[in-house]
Amino acid sequence: MTQKEIFLGNGAIALGLLEAGCQVVTSYPGTPSSEILPEVVRLIKSAGLNTYVEWSTNEKVAFDNAFAAAVSGKRAACCMKQVGLNVAADSLMSAAYIGNMGGFVIISCDDPGPHSSQTEQDTRLMARFAKVPVLDPSSPEEARQMVAVAFDLSEEFQVPIILRPAIRVCHARESLTWGGLKNNEQKASFERNPGRWAATPRFRFILHGELNGKLKEIGRRFEKLDPFNFHDLKPGEKYPLGILAGGVPYSVVRDILSDEDRKDIPVLKMCAPHPFPEGLAKEFMSACEKVLVIEETDTVIEYFLRDSEKVLGRFSDHVPSEGELVPEVVYGLINKTLEGLQMKGLSSDGRQSAVELVKGLELPIRKPTLCPGCPHRASFFTIRKARPKAIFTSDIGCYTLGINLGGVDTCLDMGAGITMASGFYHSFAQDQVDQPIVATIGDSTFYHSGTAGLLNAVYNDSRFILVILDNQTTAMTGMQPTPGLGIRADGTKGKMIPLERVVAGCGVDFIEVVDPYDLEAMNKLIKKAVEYTNDPAGGVAVIIARHPCVIAYREEAIPQKKKVVVTEDCVECNFCHDRFECPALYKDTDLGRTAVDQTLCAQCGVCLDICPKGAIIEA
Amino acid sequence: MENINFVLSGLGGQGILFMTKLLARSAVDKGLKILVAETHGMAQRGGSVVSHLRVGGVKGSLVRAGSAHILLALEENEAYRNIPFLAKGGKLYANAPTTSFPREEVRPYLEKIGVECHSIQASDIAAGLAAPMSTNLALLGFFSAFQEGPISYDELKETITQVSPDRLREINLKVFDKGFEWGAV
Repeated sequence: MTQKEIFLGNGAIALGLLEAGCQVVTSYPGTPSSEILPEVVRLIKSAGLNTYVEWSTNEKVAFDNAFAAAVSGKRAACCMKQVGLNVAADSLMSAAYIGNMGGFVIISCDDPGPHSSQTEQDTRLMARFAKVPVLDPSSPEEARQMVAVAFDLSEEFQVPIILRPAIRVCHARESLTWGGLKNNEQKASFERNPGRWAATPRFRFILHGELNGKLKEIGRRFEKLDPFNFHDLKPGEKYPLGILAGGVPYSVVRDILSDEDRKDIPVLKMCAPHPFPEGLAKEFMSACEKVLVIEETDTVIEYFLRDSEKVLGRFSDHVPSEGELVPEVVYGLINKTLEGLQMKGLSSDGRQSAVELVKGLELPIRKPTLCPGCPHRASFFTIRKARPKAIFTSDIGCYTLGINLGGVDTCLDMGAGITMASGFYHSFAQDQVDQPIVATIGDSTFYHSGTAGLLNAVYNDSRFILVILDNQTTAMTGMQPTPGLGIRADGTKGKMIPLERVVAGCGVDFIEVVDPYDLEAMNKLIKKAVEYTNDPAGGVAVIIARHPCVIAYREEAIPQKKKVVVTEDCVECNFCHDRFECPALYKDTDLGRTAVDQTLCAQCGVCLDICPKGAIIEA
Repeated sequence: MENINFVLSGLGGQGILFMTKLLARSAVDKGLKILVAETHGMAQRGGSVVSHLRVGGVKGSLVRAGSAHILLALEENEAYRNIPFLAKGGKLYANAPTTSFPREEVRPYLEKIGVECHSIQASDIAAGLAAPMSTNLALLGFFSAFQEGPISYDELKETITQVSPDRLREINLKVFDKGFEWGAV
């Protein structure tokens, strides 16, 4: 029985995993990868499969758990965003040498733009670095097909394979036909072989040689991996220009050439770029005088082509080296290249005059903000008020938006809110400077990578206040549960591990819990924490600011609703806009003062205590 | 059939994704191929939200600037922001004051490329029916009255009936119909 359904790209990947008989799927959420695991859960429930799923505490943990399943002979996958693969990089490098028994697929989702990431890094480079094959889908349907190919190759060659969908695949939607999912009966077994599974450096040399051999053989396969790698050259024909494209840019190039009816420009599609299909590339290069390489986001294919006379791309400044290759950018760069080669150009200019026109309108810049009622807003307001001179180290999550309230000074990577706090502390302490420091980190991020940094800070006698912003969910990526809730990926009950216990386990002696909606209580607690960090017998002080996310918990998060209004006492001092930045408080130009947008207001009532003139009151 | 490109714009929380879903599902139900591009994650928190819907045999999910046949905007400024997407002879439907839309500065450009503009005070209509969160449906109903693009009023209505949760079905249809009435006069 089959059915037609519109799938999110990440759903298409989930479907591909289950169609390929993947038995274990692990993940840590991160845009644009977050929906893969929930889609797997939805499909296994609807088809009654026994697939094991977990939200792991971080990407390395997700990687290792899935890898062990593959070592036992099962088919397994781990899913993460591109910077998550950095966290799992140690495992990846080693796993490439050791290899697996059952198929093992790493799904690492890239974010050209970037839309929701710290970097635009290219996972294909990570694949090259780790010496593993990589597949780069150009559409949701292709991603689904590639998962099956990846499992077969991974199992045949006993090597991990990376699937790297970019955001335009992950967050595209396409209609797919599916049905008849079945359990895979591959059984777990483990045969002792320390020379492989616990290889020492001497054996590693041998494994490295084996890996190189595997790559050579897979490279040969990639020469003929239709429909992922192929060209449309006519035999014997010569061309002034050819385009080599992979992944999402391949789809964009195809659409442009077909809209413009340009049959004079051949295309080499390369959606399986590593190990590099040298022969296929040579065949294409020899038929074209120039080859324009369009790939996201770095120079993987361009590096391998080597022919700097013939190749046009990032090194020759024909393709931008940062930012997403959206259709108008690709259109523009193809047009410019054609112009440079004195070939017939494309038909229009991509509406540049309209872009200039819109720039001139001075439309409001809409930066992302914390939601109305967000407990993080209350926390940042109080932290800033209690410690105005502090350095505010922070971390990755919704609360990075505390930057809008002046409550975030640094954001490096997952866990660095804590490690940068201790780093700052020792730098200033060395100069005998008493520099206040307040670190913030979310609950999920703390479970992900907070503990090692906190242990280190306590052990090395750092002095700072750590506020764990505990909204009892992983909010930014779509409300995935945390170990603090004790709910697992499939909704079943897991063991609840309270933050307090983990923090105590890191050696912290000052642990206090507060509801950040109570501004005064939190303010007092910060003052108490300051004393503790200044006390020679003190140490790192941890405050857990606990209040549920208003999006995840809705009504439950604001049990006592308070309708607020702004009175004539408002003098437009901007204090509430600069320090509180609630989207529901806006400047009413007709009234000449701040007003409350009642459709946006969450009625949390926190703003009742912030106005220096007392102009915000309960209606 | 010729490929049809939609751009849908608005603010986080206005229901852009739901409006896109209704159009996409209606297209698929009548046997058309679709590709959608959505905004998620950090970019979604209160910022400008855009989604693209392409109907027909296309490969990429993003609409190229200068090639949108239909622009649906749930907020006036978000309509202007996305003007560069409009194709020659495109159609623009916006939730904006009917008397002043589009603003002076953009009129010459829109006239030059032959864009037809239609506006409706969709927020007021939705609020008038005590459903301020359904502004998206009022605009969609309004749009359906012009019979532009591959999806009809009846097809959209059928999809709304199917995908709305039970408690919202009646009000969703009511707001959608009210928008349609505004467009049909």
